[in-house]
Amino acid sequence: MASKDDKQKTAEQSGISRRTFFKSTGVGSLAAGVVGIGEADAQVPVRTVGPGEVSVTLNVNGKRVDLKIEPRVTLLDAIRQRANMTGNKRGCDRGACGACTMIVDGRTVYACSTLAIEVQGKQIRTVEGLSTGNTLHPVQQAFCDVDALMCGFCTPGFIMATVALLEKNPRPTEEQVNKGLDGNICRCGTFVRIKEAAMTAKVVARG
Amino acid sequence: MAKQRGGGAGRQQPPAPAASGTSPELVKKYAWPEKPAIIGTSVKRLDGPDKVTGRAKYTFDINRPGMIYGRVIRSPHPHARIVAIDLSDAQKAPGVRAALEHKPAGGQVMYQGDAVAAVAADTEDRAIDAARLVKVQYQVLPHLANVEQAMDPDAAAVFAGGNVRQGQTQESGDLAAGFAQAAETVEATYSTHVITHVCMESHSVVCEWEGEKLTAWISTQAVHGSAQQFANGLKIPQTNVRVITQYMGGGFGSKSQIGAEGMLCARLAQAAKAPVKLTLDRKEEHLDTGNRPSATAHIRAGVGADGMLTAFDAESWGTGGAGAGSNFPLPYIYQFPNRKRIHKDVYINAGQQRPMRAPGHPQGCFLTEILMDELADRVRMDPVEFRIKNVPADAPNAKWKTYLPEAAQLFGWSKRHPTGDASRGPIKTGFGCSVHQWGGGGRGSQARCEIMADGSVVMKCGTQDIGTGTRTIVAMVTAETLGLPLNAVKAEIGDTLYPFSGGSGGSTTAASVTPAIRLAAAQALETLFTKVAPTLGADASALVATNGRIQMRDNPSRGVAWKDACKLLSTEPIAADAQWQQGLSGSGTSGVQFTEVKVDVETGIVRVERILAMQDCGLVVDTLTAESQVYGGIIGSLNFALFEDRILDRVTGQMVNPNMEWYLLAGMSDVPKIEVHLKNQPERGVIGIGEPPTVSTASAIANAVRNATGATIRSLPLTPQKVLDAIEQQKAGGTL
Repeated sequence: MASKDDKQKTAEQSGISRRTFFKSTGVGSLAAGVVGIGEADAQVPVRTVGPGEVSVTLNVNGKRVDLKIEPRVTLLDAIRQRANMTGNKRGCDRGACGACTMIVDGRTVYACSTLAIEVQGKQIRTVEGLSTGNTLHPVQQAFCDVDALMCGFCTPGFIMATVALLEKNPRPTEEQVNKGLDGNICRCGTFVRIKEAAMTAKVVARG
Repeated sequence: MAKQRGGGAGRQQPPAPAASGTSPELVKKYAWPEKPAIIGTSVKRLDGPDKVTGRAKYTFDINRPGMIYGRVIRSPHPHARIVAIDLSDAQKAPGVRAALEHKPAGGQVMYQGDAVAAVAADTEDRAIDAARLVKVQYQVLPHLANVEQAMDPDAAAVFAGGNVRQGQTQESGDLAAGFAQAAETVEATYSTHVITHVCMESHSVVCEWEGEKLTAWISTQAVHGSAQQFANGLKIPQTNVRVITQYMGGGFGSKSQIGAEGMLCARLAQAAKAPVKLTLDRKEEHLDTGNRPSATAHIRAGVGADGMLTAFDAESWGTGGAGAGSNFPLPYIYQFPNRKRIHKDVYINAGQQRPMRAPGHPQGCFLTEILMDELADRVRMDPVEFRIKNVPADAPNAKWKTYLPEAAQLFGWSKRHPTGDASRGPIKTGFGCSVHQWGGGGRGSQARCEIMADGSVVMKCGTQDIGTGTRTIVAMVTAETLGLPLNAVKAEIGDTLYPFSGGSGGSTTAASVTPAIRLAAAQALETLFTKVAPTLGADASALVATNGRIQMRDNPSRGVAWKDACKLLSTEPIAADAQWQQGLSGSGTSGVQFTEVKVDVETGIVRVERILAMQDCGLVVDTLTAESQVYGGIIGSLNFALFEDRILDRVTGQMVNPNMEWYLLAGMSDVPKIEVHLKNQPERGVIGIGEPPTVSTASAIANAVRNATGATIRSLPLTPQKVLDAIEQQKAGGTL
């Protein structure tokens, strides 16, 4: 986990906060409503960036990735199109299908609906970060063993959602698996075997 | 059987048989083994590790040096004439490298999303920005937003030759006599709705030119078919086109055409002198990459007191969008001695249909199967018993009379209550069943087997794996034939550099490819036998390949290890070509499905509790992936029954849910317990299984809802509102 200091430093480096983002997009009333919650945000010195390219530093699978991107670029596009890590997919581009699911600071996010510039200083995990060498992560292995995939396009998102679920709750009930994976869609219809994979994968809890 | 025409699915004619065509003797000698070592077992898909790690490169993932991004400009109107297109502002926008027209001024757009122009820029966001700067002046014309509008006699004549095209009347027997024999008749209107394919990977293409030669990575169900379409469209020799599809994220019938986006991508790449990637967004995908046509039929049907069907009279219609057909088999499977049917294609201003998983069958099945339960009730007969009476006699490709009682018993059908759950409380339980069939079958695929002097083996075939596991069965059949372990052979597919293979449509891939693979491996092996035979002092015809050895059939101890045998090849590796031959594949499948549902009669919400499927597909090649296809087909049909629906605004003709949050699809919580009983029929050869299991689930669910509530819903999808309305209607006077 990035320390609080790290987080603040990155925010200063990029010079952007949620507040500037909303201001710069001109959604005044929304910004006021949202930013009013966190006073800390209001005290960070801010400046407007974009719409041109700015420097953004991401921590992806434990490695530093330096990018020059427009502030509007999503986490998914930044990683896929600029860092050439194409494991996670785009299905709907509006947070409905889950193919883009990544884990950011331990929580699943729809990377298609998250700005890259917003997650600087956070630990971003993609499907590329799970296996070590030729050894698959237990969830990846379980998906292969029970054929929990067909075309495979939704698979990276389902795997990330399953990993996040099992790291919090290594022995979920069927109901918990349903809830944990309801944010993902598979059009080939592999759900029966994804559930089997989620309930048989041996994953160690992670704090 | 009346299979829908115009299925497309890359059904180009294969080239004439190669001069070195395999002999009938070889086909006989290499019939499928009685005791296979690999075929029929459960083999994990070989590309699983690549897919679960993100290493698998889909078209959507291809990044080429210097690659830029394309974007299509599409009509916002369902029907309009293009007056003028002004690309000048877009051309001046930041990062723009090319801009071009697709339809010229004066042309017409026939549906929302019809392609008009395209731009390419250095980032995807900038391409989208530039697309907004393209100024298209439209003269809006009258449009038809639905079938009712199009069939109205006063409707504007939108389509040349009429908005409605009447088909030929199909008639047999004596309808009047049939109805005279009927003890009971049912007359009602049944319908199914339009759905879209919603492939998780949208239609995507990357085009790169090198002089006169084009390389295209495209998410397609037909690599060779795509090469032909690029060549035709660009007016270049097909030999100048290479198409690559190593991985593709779902097609379901919608990806056998390169589409407007394919041609535009190639032309943008030419104009920009750079590789261009063009991926459709979800809205474009819903609007312009195909759909399953709607189907409606007004049916009058008669049944005798003995439960035998006597007469069927139907007028049917449907829409496949702007100028595309909508036909489907009707009546489905059941035998009516006297029948008449007339079908009309109705054109509306919406994207054209494309084949969608078992084209025509889910529609015909639903329209017929709901009627069957109604007729069974009229003569007070159990629906399974009623079906057994009226399905055709048992045949290898028609096993309903066998499967119905067997599946009913496994399902616990005897616990079914008569129509209408009489128990107290708002949650009603119901059982339903349905039958289905599909054709499938093999056709002219080619393959090449190469054996190297180091013993390594590669099988090359220009087919593609659309998620069904084709890559895996190519390797399985190769290894089986050569007597090698699976990891000793390599399967190379998804590239037009490999021998011709047809499109993956109509459940034909496995049946087309496996015979060619088997025979190519056999040809190669026979050549190896001739090299080995002298060293063993044996006749080549006395040799077999098994357990990684070439040995004498009658004296296994006299043999040589595979690797040592291959050393004899020295500097001349074996390359053997073969193509699909009759005798190793079959066609025609049948299946039955049973469902149990719970319906909340206060909210109208339907929950499917469990599904049982009994399905055959000839010789099962990979049990694991074959079962996956049955699961997948069932869940696809559950979506058709309960959730998905392409909704067009009746006034504007615009799609109101072109996304994935309002275009509903099942999630994990919606998926019931599913029990698959796969029937192996090794004597019939290989037959595909991609489509049959998706035909009847929706009908079985609808019949179960009817059994639970006592109310008949004659149209899909079974939305809560429709369920509540049907229950109200039934209370008010009955639909039974």
